[in-house]
Amino acid sequence: MINRECGVLKTSYEADMALYPIPLARSTVLGIAIIVFLPFPVLANDYLLSVANLVNIAILGALGLNILTGYTGQVSLGHGAFMSVGAYTAAILATRYHLPFWLALAAGGVMAAAVGSFFGIPSLRIKGLYLAIATLAGQFIIEWSLNHITWISGGIQSSIYVPRPALGGYVINTQRGMYYLILIVVSLGIVAAMNLFRTRVGRAFVAIRDHDVAAEIIGINIFRYKLLSFAISSFYAGVTGVLYTYYLGIANYEQFTIVTSVNFLAMIIIGGLGSILGSIFGAAFITLLPILLRYVVEGIGGLFFTISDVAGVLTNLQLILFGGLIIFFLIVEPDGLKKLWRNITDYFRVWPFPY
Amino acid sequence: MRKRLAHLSVAVAILVLVLALVNPEVTWATHEIVVGLQCDRTGPVQTIGVFLCPGFHDYVKLVNKKGGVEGHKIRVIEIDHKYEVPLGVEAYERFKQQGAVSVSLYGTPNVYALTPRLTEDKIPGTSPGFGRADATDGTRFPYVFPIAASYWSQATASVKYILDHSKGKKGLKIAFLYYDNPAGREPLPIFEKLAKREGFELRTFAVPPPGIEMSAQILDIAQRFKPDWVITHLFGRSPSVSMKELRRVGFPMDHVIGFVWGAAEADAEAAGWSTAEGYLGIQFAGVGSDFPILKEIAKMYRDEGKDPPREMNSTVYYNRGVLIAALHTEAIRQAIKRFGLPVTGEKVKKGFESIKGFTLEGLVPPLEITPNDHEGGGWVRIYQIKGGKWAPMTDWFKAYGDVIQEALKEAAAKGS
Amino acid sequence: MDFFLQLLVNGLMVGALYALVALGFVLIYKATDAINFAQGELVMIGGFIVAVLLGSYGFPLVVAVAGTIVAMIVLAFGVERMILRPLIGRPVIAVIMATIGLASILKGIGPLLFRAETKNVPLPIPDAPLFVSGLLISPIQIVAVAISLIFLALFGSFFLRSRIGIAMRAVADSQQVAMAMGISVERYFALAWAMAGIVSAIGGIIWGNLLGVDVHLSLVGLKVFPVVILGGLDSILGAVVGGLIVGGVESVAAGYIDPYVGGGTKDFIPYLLMIVILMIRPYGLFGKEIIERV
Repeated sequence: MINRECGVLKTSYEADMALYPIPLARSTVLGIAIIVFLPFPVLANDYLLSVANLVNIAILGALGLNILTGYTGQVSLGHGAFMSVGAYTAAILATRYHLPFWLALAAGGVMAAAVGSFFGIPSLRIKGLYLAIATLAGQFIIEWSLNHITWISGGIQSSIYVPRPALGGYVINTQRGMYYLILIVVSLGIVAAMNLFRTRVGRAFVAIRDHDVAAEIIGINIFRYKLLSFAISSFYAGVTGVLYTYYLGIANYEQFTIVTSVNFLAMIIIGGLGSILGSIFGAAFITLLPILLRYVVEGIGGLFFTISDVAGVLTNLQLILFGGLIIFFLIVEPDGLKKLWRNITDYFRVWPFPY
Repeated sequence: MRKRLAHLSVAVAILVLVLALVNPEVTWATHEIVVGLQCDRTGPVQTIGVFLCPGFHDYVKLVNKKGGVEGHKIRVIEIDHKYEVPLGVEAYERFKQQGAVSVSLYGTPNVYALTPRLTEDKIPGTSPGFGRADATDGTRFPYVFPIAASYWSQATASVKYILDHSKGKKGLKIAFLYYDNPAGREPLPIFEKLAKREGFELRTFAVPPPGIEMSAQILDIAQRFKPDWVITHLFGRSPSVSMKELRRVGFPMDHVIGFVWGAAEADAEAAGWSTAEGYLGIQFAGVGSDFPILKEIAKMYRDEGKDPPREMNSTVYYNRGVLIAALHTEAIRQAIKRFGLPVTGEKVKKGFESIKGFTLEGLVPPLEITPNDHEGGGWVRIYQIKGGKWAPMTDWFKAYGDVIQEALKEAAAKGS
Repeated sequence: MDFFLQLLVNGLMVGALYALVALGFVLIYKATDAINFAQGELVMIGGFIVAVLLGSYGFPLVVAVAGTIVAMIVLAFGVERMILRPLIGRPVIAVIMATIGLASILKGIGPLLFRAETKNVPLPIPDAPLFVSGLLISPIQIVAVAISLIFLALFGSFFLRSRIGIAMRAVADSQQVAMAMGISVERYFALAWAMAGIVSAIGGIIWGNLLGVDVHLSLVGLKVFPVVILGGLDSILGAVVGGLIVGGVESVAAGYIDPYVGGGTKDFIPYLLMIVILMIRPYGLFGKEIIERV
């Protein structure tokens, strides 16, 4: 995405507010879209596709959290639980009421949005880190409910198997099929989020984040917009949960614990708060880092030792490297990977004549 | 400065990618038989993985040293998934990509998530002593093998032991203290059935995760319910906490039975051996170093000029690792013997289903895995903590097969 | 009624143990304005060190405890120097993220350096419970209560009266203004982490004795969130009172509500209580209220 601005002259406000203000950006986005839709899924093997699927699902979840935390400034530690709400809603609808996949997907999102806005109510009075911990309460309460209310959980195992998703009679049961399905949903999510921040609602979110008292004075109903932000964010989370459920074939609350919530928070902080691109980078980074680290550590360790001899050391080394890399990136660039990316593109923007 | 660091980090990222792509593991020789091993050496259940996985590796190493399985070497791919489901799925996909013919699963949530995939891909996976109990039914779950006593069999065995040792006492009271997650609740229906049938009073007490604090529940047990026996089904650090708390309220330790994940040396070590004295534990693999196969492994290390690994001292988990590896190897051996090469997941599944009378001189129970019974009978042994070690109290036994069959039928009828 | 009293007393005692961990958390928040997600891991490392000093090297208890405290102070200084100093003046959320990274590092280092297997921390405190007018109390709990109260008094007066304590409060209030007034922010950050290191060392010794030492010890970190929020993130008194409330409520809930709803209420009752209190007092019971002006 080397955005050369040379020769781009904006003549109207519309041009300035366009999704891609620079023609070249539009074509790079188009180029990336073509690559992820055509050559990649055709050439990649099942393993690469399975990893790509995990990344794509994570991107959607990270986007949702970024809308709430990055754009509206409300830190949430309950994101994982909102995903599980979507997951169980879809699983119940799909198995007990035999709803088709796309309806279950939407319903999961809507239900999560409703639950999410309910747990957003404390944001009326509670702010900042206190709110973060209050959402943690949501995490534990939802977890407990899924675990103990048998009508929801479907029995002591608290897990519901779902059939493979089917669209118009065609059953999607390969990694490649799932890849396309997930990619389409995620692309819609990205485009919707990009457009959200070109509307009145999106700008209200940003105003609340930047200064809530000032926002109220200029006539923004803070409580309403905060709840709306919780709802939209949880909708994304719910859809993410549904995708996880259909991807794995099972809804199980143990996939959506506090660890998940913290992981998603890590994604958006590492990627960049208040940035769509940041959500994508962060989700890819946090999902791929442990996998890549494993390859690297195994690759290097395997040169000198047999894996089984040093496995105990290697796995702990991965944890240390994971934490170390996070801290390293924070120190290098506290605004996240998106800023790092911007630094690089800024450099090329005027290259080769930097002055 | 800022810019240079940025460049450096990009360079590092590219290096990482290149290293990942030229990973030597990707190219694999066709004559090797690949077995996938999910393992947790980090994450919430790492205290088990660090002993269990070396046991698995050591057994396979021994088999390979002795010429492999019917002349074919086995290669184990170990992947640590930190008990996280997405990483577990990724690990499984990598096993599949590298041609694994069987997979040793790890962690109940992972077993749940991977069950549909194993069936679709026709790769057998094992979940010894954990996972879903109804996977015993091989007709419903053709590619999942509990291969050792499931939580249901552990429940029936513990009740059998109690009834045998209370000599027809009237008004017997049993408390069941369990970790409050799906794995912890798994045996509840069996206990309820048994309470009705044998006429004892059952009350259950839940310990919420992370299970580091349960004094209120133990007080409730000791001061309000006052049971004759306590059965505990706990994970992680909570078994040792339960030992300490039960000792504190003065409950007799020899009337406490722990399920398989609360019955290791580590649990007694954490609580203090003297505190745990008398505590009973269920085992699905032999405990102690007094087995020929373990001596062979120790000798293999000495022949290399090394000391046997420290992990061997934690015999409960290490021996379980050996058991799991031995059953995988035996299944592959049966597969080659009966169906020839190349080895496939389908053949190994049938290999598992023909395991019989494979005991490694006492380390493995007298299993008999059949297409209907993937658990192999549900054999356990009860051990007791005596003078700083686990001492056997019973021989291999199983109990109430009819109750389990009934529960399996109900589970099949309910579907899900 | 007796049973209720027993549950309550027991819960309060456990609450004192929570307070011990929460104190370290509050100390760091008070001085650096950051939620420390690695508090449980710090306790774990403290436990590992004392277990190894006692078990593998066989040092006498006093030496082992002193060694642990010194080691934890060194570790805390190291953490401050390597991780937090470069982040001074950066967004609070970056610091929080850094502590999540730190938690991952410590979780790797602990088992790597000290081996993953479970170790115990034998303390010369009898296991046998005492009976105080019919109530069952274990000696270790009394020790925990005593230590919590001592820390409360020490840190309380330190922040209120000593020059250093006042400077630390200034740093927490506004790093920039503090710098402008000639206060060395770095120094007080280091000091805050060192104090948290001491508290974590003690927490590691006592919780290590209760649970045994391995990576699970870090789970005590999860218990502190309702405690500190209830009491107020920046209040030392709040940490202690919050700990007692959470411990007591948990215990009574487990005894009286669990049988009706199928268990596990301990998990979220403290959080429910926390939300209710937050709706009335958004900065916790003893937290400092921030007055906002445009």
